Amino acid sequence: MRIILMLIKKEFLQVFRSPLLLSILIVAPMVQFLLFPFTADYEVKVLHIAFIDNDHSSVSRSIIQKFTSSQYFINHGNPASKAEAEYMMLRDEIDFIIEFPKDLEKNLMSQQKSSIAIMANAINSVKAGIGTSYIQNMLSEFLQRESEYKDLSENTLSQLFTTNIYWYNEKMNYKNLIVPGILVILVTLIGAYVTALNIVREKEIGTIEQINVTPIRKWQFLLGKMIPFWILGMSEFLMGIGLMYLVFDITVQGSLPILLGITSIYLLVMLGLGFFISSVAENQLQAMFIVFFLFILFVLLSGLFTPTEGMPHWAAYINYFNPMSFYMDVIKMMVLKGSTIHDLRIQVISLSCMAIILNSAALFFYKENSR
Amino acid sequence: MHSIEVENLTKKFGHFTAVDHITFQVRKGEIFGFLGANGAGKTTAMKMMCGLLQPTSGKATIAGYSLKSEAKLIKRNIGYMSQRFSLYNDLTVYENMQLFGTVYGIPRKELNTRIFNSLEELQMTEKAKTLVNAIPLGWKQRLAFATAMLHRPQIVFLDEPTSGVDPIVRREFWNLIYRTASQGVTIFVTTHYMDEAEYCNRISIMSEGELKLVGTPQELKDKMQVDSIADVFVKFVNR
Repeated sequence: MRIILMLIKKEFLQVFRSPLLLSILIVAPMVQFLLFPFTADYEVKVLHIAFIDNDHSSVSRSIIQKFTSSQYFINHGNPASKAEAEYMMLRDEIDFIIEFPKDLEKNLMSQQKSSIAIMANAINSVKAGIGTSYIQNMLSEFLQRESEYKDLSENTLSQLFTTNIYWYNEKMNYKNLIVPGILVILVTLIGAYVTALNIVREKEIGTIEQINVTPIRKWQFLLGKMIPFWILGMSEFLMGIGLMYLVFDITVQGSLPILLGITSIYLLVMLGLGFFISSVAENQLQAMFIVFFLFILFVLLSGLFTPTEGMPHWAAYINYFNPMSFYMDVIKMMVLKGSTIHDLRIQVISLSCMAIILNSAALFFYKENSR
Repeated sequence: MHSIEVENLTKKFGHFTAVDHITFQVRKGEIFGFLGANGAGKTTAMKMMCGLLQPTSGKATIAGYSLKSEAKLIKRNIGYMSQRFSLYNDLTVYENMQLFGTVYGIPRKELNTRIFNSLEELQMTEKAKTLVNAIPLGWKQRLAFATAMLHRPQIVFLDEPTSGVDPIVRREFWNLIYRTASQGVTIFVTTHYMDEAEYCNRISIMSEGELKLVGTPQELKDKMQVDSIADVFVKFVNR
């Protein structure tokens, strides 16, 4: 016990004497919280648009007028030809091209079918999707109002109507999703990254050899590393919860003690992973590559940036081995939805199993004597 | 009585044999020099004896305990100072000694007395609260030695303890070794400096993983019919 306390003291002394590590621990979450949610969001604020008007009628002109007067659209004019419009899109000047067919007005008046083409730059698929439906809404709204004057039959109208409603995130507030996601990233980085690098560094400078020649036990050494980094990770998490409230006014809807409990299990998973990586890696560079590789994989599959539901089946199977995916569920459900532990039992059980397996593996693979 | 007995100790890395069936004994309180060119296998042999490396084959009894079955007891009874300086640079002199002393299970009060005494002996008392990376290399080496001696080991393994320090520091370091050996501690030391080899009670020369010669410096000089250990070494290596 005294040995472990001594090792913990040593670890904290070193952390607090390392200006770089300390600033990473304190500044990194601040920057992530204050910068990331504003940049990594999919809110569509402005759409650049151009019109190809083959009709030159009062209808087409008033539609253009309606878009131009909207604060969400910036009209880039009426290119003479389709080729010119496409060239504008190619240069990324516009996001959408709206093409009015010849005889648009005439067809509308005579209640014949007519179609307006909306061409979207789908490189940013989110923008394209949201923009398209928004344009459709505006068009049908316009046509509805037109019909009141021009006396169109009910039948025609119902064909024109398109509506899109976004469930669960009606206001499209991505900060609510991204901010808790950053909490996950923070805890993951402290757990896996800092732990792995710390141990591998001791390998590099040779101090681990001096420790290994003492009668210290493996589990004592590992606990002496684990407890300090666990405490650091939990402090980071609490700091994150505080920032989340102060900056974004997001409070934890579920029970905070339970959230802390699950977070500490997740931290154990990440610490175990960090240990495991440190026993495989020979130097800090290797450790960094391994952590980086796993981290990207975890994040992309976790559902932070893209919903897991849209992934192919095999990806869903990989996600059974992705601790971050489980923890992301926990964070989203507890912070935003206020779920209870009963709703999260599968995640809690999975994370606990991973914690046990990874830490046992780390204990097994940690070599007191190298090969 | 022997404090180190090594029999056919071997270490292979893949097809490469780093240490090839070495056999020797070291008496209690002896200063035993371990010589050899770079890559001769000295450090590998020493790491095996300290329990840092698993031998491929062979036996060893260190401080009366079997290397195979009683490694934990061996660790409790040996001190080790590695080739690289391996105390924590970002801890103070006192914190380093406290850390390693505690790990060896020395009771708190007793440990503080021992730290105080050994700092006194090294004339480093006023440096107790200095970070290790702020003290000169020569002092670091002596500090590493004192730290390796805190738990009063029967044997201390020193891997090139004086590499990179000036001649005065080297002489002081050897005075420290003599004083320690006179208290009955066995010293097992590897070195590149041939003049240091002359200070040892007995020396051995390793080459390409094999132990070629063992004896007192005088015996080896007589055997090879030369005047200095340096010549023994050169003549031997050129053979």
